[in-house]
Amino acid sequence: MTTCNCIVQAGQISGEIQAALRAGLDKFTQEKFGSAAEIGWVEIPPGSGYTANKPSTSSIVSLAPGEPVEQSARIEMLQELCDLWAGETGCTLDEIVGVINDPA
Amino acid sequence: MPLYMTNAAQGVIDDAAKKKIAADITRIHCDVTDAPPAFVHAFFVEDAPHMPLDDKSAFLLGSIRAGRNDEQKAQIIEEMRQSIHEHAGLQLDDIQVVIRDTPASWVMEGGDIMPEPGEEEAWFTAHEAKQAAENA
Repeated sequence: MTTCNCIVQAGQISGEIQAALRAGLDKFTQEKFGSAAEIGWVEIPPGSGYTANKPSTSSIVSLAPGEPVEQSARIEMLQELCDLWAGETGCTLDEIVGVINDPA
Repeated sequence: MPLYMTNAAQGVIDDAAKKKIAADITRIHCDVTDAPPAFVHAFFVEDAPHMPLDDKSAFLLGSIRAGRNDEQKAQIIEEMRQSIHEHAGLQLDDIQVVIRDTPASWVMEGGDIMPEPGEEEAWFTAHEAKQAAENA
């Protein structure tokens, strides 16, 4: 399993888009890490998310594969991950934070 | 990044307090680290199982770019605890703040890998030039 924690602003992503994102993330982790995505989904309630001290429209998607990732590969994966998120949600890249962690 | 995520027991931090604490989080992080406010995310959740409260009423986990020293982290922890204490009315010993380092090279924001601490100005210049070229 590749842990995939998603933090989004409530009301910003419909159930249909969430389903597409889950499928896309699972395909992504299968292709890149050979394992299914174990997705954690957290919605920040209205009035509870701020970016740059203004109401936030940002999403955070953070992956924790079970193996270290070489940096040039990480950059390519992050670009693909952020493009996946932007494509499904219509968010701009400025509204997306992608993280690919190495194991502790 | 940074992402400051606060989990609290239901109802102990109201929306007005969240707004003030978020403003303090942004100001404190930028004052201590010289980072730009554009990077600072302050989110609040309640009774979130992935952030156990244990015996506290509020738990703030700050995920920041690696490279800050222990003195800076201690100052962030102390001032953010104080902010939650003042605005939510919680006792200081009822609030836990933890800072966790994440290498900048692991994070992409705005379509670009995050800058190392101190390299933000050059990052914004390059980022804005890239966006202008894409929009031309």
